[in-house]
Amino acid sequence: MRRATDASLPTFGTMSSKASESKMSSSQYSYIFKYIIVGDMGVGKSCLLHQFTEQKFTADCPHTIGVEFGTRIIEVSGKKIKLQIWDTAGQERFRAVTRSYYRGAAGALMVYDITRRSSYNHLSSWLSDTRNLTNPGTVIYLIGNKLDMESNRDVSYEEAKQFADENGLMFLEASAKTGEYVEDAFLKTAQIIYECIQDGRLDLNAADSGVQQKILQCETNPNVEKDKSCMQC
Amino acid sequence: MELSAIMKDKLNAGDNVVALHEGVLLQGWSPKAHRLLALVERNLSFGLFVFTTSRNPPQAFTDLTINFVVPIDSDFKCDIDSLSAESNSDIYINLSARNFKLFMGMDSGHETNHFFNELSRSMDLYLKNQQTLDFQWLKKYNINDIDLELGLMMNINGDNTSNNIITANMAVAENDISFPTGTQTLSSRESVIQRQMILSEEQYTNAQNFRIYIGTWNVNGQPTLSSLNDWLTCDSEPPDIYAIGFQELDLSKEAFLFNDSPREEEWLQAVTKSLNSKGNYKKVSLVRLVGMMLIVFVKNKHMDHVKNVATDTVGTGIMGKLGNKGGVAVRMDFHNTSLCFVNTHLAAHVEEYERRNQDYQNICSRMVFSNFIPPKTVKDHNQVYWFGDLNYRITEMDAISVKDLVRKNNFKNVLEADQLKQQHRAGNVFKGYKEGSINFLPTYKYDPGTNDWDSSEKNRAPAWCDRILWRGNSIKQLAYRSHPNLLISDHKPVSALFESEVRVVDLTKYRKIHEHIMKKLDKAENEYLPQVMVDNTEIIFHNVKFMEPQLKELTVANTGQVPVQFEFIKKLDDSTYCKEWLRIEPFMSFIDPGEKCDITLEVLIDKKSAYKMISGQDKLYDILVLHLDGGKDIFITVTGNYERSCFGCSLETLCYLKVPIKNIPFGKLMELENNKSNMTSDPYPVPKEVWYLVDHLYRHGLKQEHLFEHSGLRSEFVQIRNWLDNGTPDALPGSVHSVAEALLILLDSTSEPIIPYNLHATCLSAVSYYSQCKQIISQLPERSKNVFLYLCAFLQELLNHVNDNKLDVKTIASVFGEIFIRDPPRSRSDKSGHTRTSMSRKKTNFVYHFLVNDQSDLIINTSF
Repeated sequence: MRRATDASLPTFGTMSSKASESKMSSSQYSYIFKYIIVGDMGVGKSCLLHQFTEQKFTADCPHTIGVEFGTRIIEVSGKKIKLQIWDTAGQERFRAVTRSYYRGAAGALMVYDITRRSSYNHLSSWLSDTRNLTNPGTVIYLIGNKLDMESNRDVSYEEAKQFADENGLMFLEASAKTGEYVEDAFLKTAQIIYECIQDGRLDLNAADSGVQQKILQCETNPNVEKDKSCMQC
Repeated sequence: MELSAIMKDKLNAGDNVVALHEGVLLQGWSPKAHRLLALVERNLSFGLFVFTTSRNPPQAFTDLTINFVVPIDSDFKCDIDSLSAESNSDIYINLSARNFKLFMGMDSGHETNHFFNELSRSMDLYLKNQQTLDFQWLKKYNINDIDLELGLMMNINGDNTSNNIITANMAVAENDISFPTGTQTLSSRESVIQRQMILSEEQYTNAQNFRIYIGTWNVNGQPTLSSLNDWLTCDSEPPDIYAIGFQELDLSKEAFLFNDSPREEEWLQAVTKSLNSKGNYKKVSLVRLVGMMLIVFVKNKHMDHVKNVATDTVGTGIMGKLGNKGGVAVRMDFHNTSLCFVNTHLAAHVEEYERRNQDYQNICSRMVFSNFIPPKTVKDHNQVYWFGDLNYRITEMDAISVKDLVRKNNFKNVLEADQLKQQHRAGNVFKGYKEGSINFLPTYKYDPGTNDWDSSEKNRAPAWCDRILWRGNSIKQLAYRSHPNLLISDHKPVSALFESEVRVVDLTKYRKIHEHIMKKLDKAENEYLPQVMVDNTEIIFHNVKFMEPQLKELTVANTGQVPVQFEFIKKLDDSTYCKEWLRIEPFMSFIDPGEKCDITLEVLIDKKSAYKMISGQDKLYDILVLHLDGGKDIFITVTGNYERSCFGCSLETLCYLKVPIKNIPFGKLMELENNKSNMTSDPYPVPKEVWYLVDHLYRHGLKQEHLFEHSGLRSEFVQIRNWLDNGTPDALPGSVHSVAEALLILLDSTSEPIIPYNLHATCLSAVSYYSQCKQIISQLPERSKNVFLYLCAFLQELLNHVNDNKLDVKTIASVFGEIFIRDPPRSRSDKSGHTRTSMSRKKTNFVYHFLVNDQSDLIINTSF
């Protein structure tokens, strides 16, 4: 499937007029990480995305008929990272089509609904798709959503934690409604990906690493004094 | 509701809409983005409002979003250009105000004149009443709000005067074909962040006072002294920053011609040694132009907070270039405050105060720190300290009176005659700068080595040539003095001590606010992703029939804020974006915000796809991926049911069907097609459908001219198809031409042709030898052989009536050659060395044998 990449970046830098900016907000992000969000229909994938990108929650959010897209720039170890997040339709009939979107994901958020056991039971099928369709370096984060509906809980934390441990997945429970732990899920995933890049476990040159590195602009160096002769006439 | 009424709802009470106009933002090749301009008045002051509309025309005030509000004041400019519109009545306007630029196109209409008349009237009114006008009411519209800024996705660029100009740079214009999601002009995003950070500076910085020592001395080319302590260490408490300027450091020809001077190092050493010993200092920068030198030191412990140090020099000597006069400057960011130190030596001679003013102006405009984008000039700093031998003298008072008055410490009267005070007061120089009160003796001119006034014949009036001025808020001068004990020069050194407020960043708060702004931007960025509504994502085609196209419409509405380019894209592993039986028109297009695009989907099951539907290889089901460039994908499901037809069935299957196909369940049909059925009854030798058609032609068409040459009618084909599929007792409908064509289509729609694909090549290489051709035919599957021989027999009969029907055997052979020996799908004729014509010729020859020879030997074994 054709998927366009980031537009080319400007090549010059703007030096800020304030001292602090040039020091603290280096003018570009260093990486782009691609994420996908997968899981059964109705587990709250789109809500997690909206909570993360727009800090909003829509009750009765319509089913995603396709693939939603969101973006946010975050900071990991002082590096700016742009997250491109693909939120896939959970309906079974779209499964064949959404498989196209896994490729090249650096992070995969696999979501189930803690109040609906069936969505938990299907995890192994989502996991096998994720494993088969992404590269071995892809960080898979398991998210039990709807933590705000504790009284209707159908899957215990311990059970899911065990599943995550057995399969080598990161795991947390979150609430797209209250926003609780939503940031954590996205940020921790980025952190792990970043660590993988740092220690070389993730090969950026691989076409499907899901990470694009941006060449940082060179800042102008104001310390180079101009060589101005007095005899210019 | 009328537009102006809607707009009134949007505005605060008491603000009146004077005139309205629609326009489109223009930038580059841009798809157009609609904007509404409104001229709004309150108490005779005017503002220009720029709106985006979520609906066009807007129905309620909620459809309006304010992008920009600019006051119609002295900074407001409006250029109208109708000449550049070659063709129609479009006009282009260039609006600019402080921090704002907008280039728009408009259709000129009857309201255009009104709008621009009102606009120019508002500008005139401003000029008349500017003293009394109050623009505070505009502030209530939150023009600094980040969301609104993003409404236009601005770029902060610098113009030459280095005011930050915000160009209304349409994000949409940057939408590359590829991936505009949030990446449109990253620099503009950064600029917005920077601007926001500057606006909220007070929230993350604390004011902190620092002591800044400024020193200036015209040393008259003298070698250095061993100690400068009297000058530089006169305060007990060590300052945080030293900025020390010299003039006439070196009067040698070498210095003048080559800007090379051993004195630089000597004086640097002397200064470094004489800095307050209670502080540890580090040199930030040294800059020299001929005799003008400036050295800046800060306490060691502050070095980490000194950033973006830059220097520049300006010569204002002869030709405006030579460096005997002019200035040198060092700029730096100290914590979050920008500082600029300017050391100048202005034109000499008593009468030349105008030249000194001019030198000042020259330095102001030519002193540029060009490694910044945009480049910075002196005035682009929070604090400026300007000092040096400014050379302003005392006129209007003779030397004796001056000396007499200053001896009595009566400086006030003398300073009345000071050119700098006079020129400064008159606004001719150092506009915006302050100077502390002078309570020290004039610093020029002394006999070197003494504290005696110049004894030369000129007998000049002593003057305060050496001065220190500053510009900026929260700067307190603690001391301003001269240092008469330093005797080597004809000037005395001067110094000033300042307590200056610097914004110090609170990192925790800074991060918090930065993060907050980033989040808001991300949010806005996501809101600015392309958005569409599709009115139907489940397209259902009912009762699709063979060779009868069906259309469905789909409407894609751009509900977002930016133009959308959409395209149907391929799914993984697919070679096309939709199934072969589906056509999408347009499959790719642009939609402007608020606009819609109708997409037509056409399903047509023809000979290429019919057999797949019958056999179950394919079905009326597809998921289309509607991709928004730079945004999301929408899945559109296409389903439907196909009405089975004999067209597309294999000859084998048809022979087993003793009743009309309508009465055969689909499952049964599929089993037959896949040879999985155990039919007990004997099959027909040839399909009844073939027989019906041939029999009809035999009875009605033997004498028909151009049979198999003229095409039939589409409507008659549909009737014939229905007749065959439904089995009606009436006579077969349609003209003989339509029946003939139906026969050809029936034979052409099977998954395998009569000569199976695997015999295609063999067949073509055998055409020269009838016996080999016969051999091939005898080996065909029984039903195919039957049909072949049956048709050949019929065609021979047809050719017996050449006198009536004027048919040509070669033409008939050619028509049936293409049918009997159908090319395999995607066959590459060039691969086998055959061209299309040579293949056709061979096919014709093959069939020709069977039309001119007797095949009773073949038929013997066949029972009809």
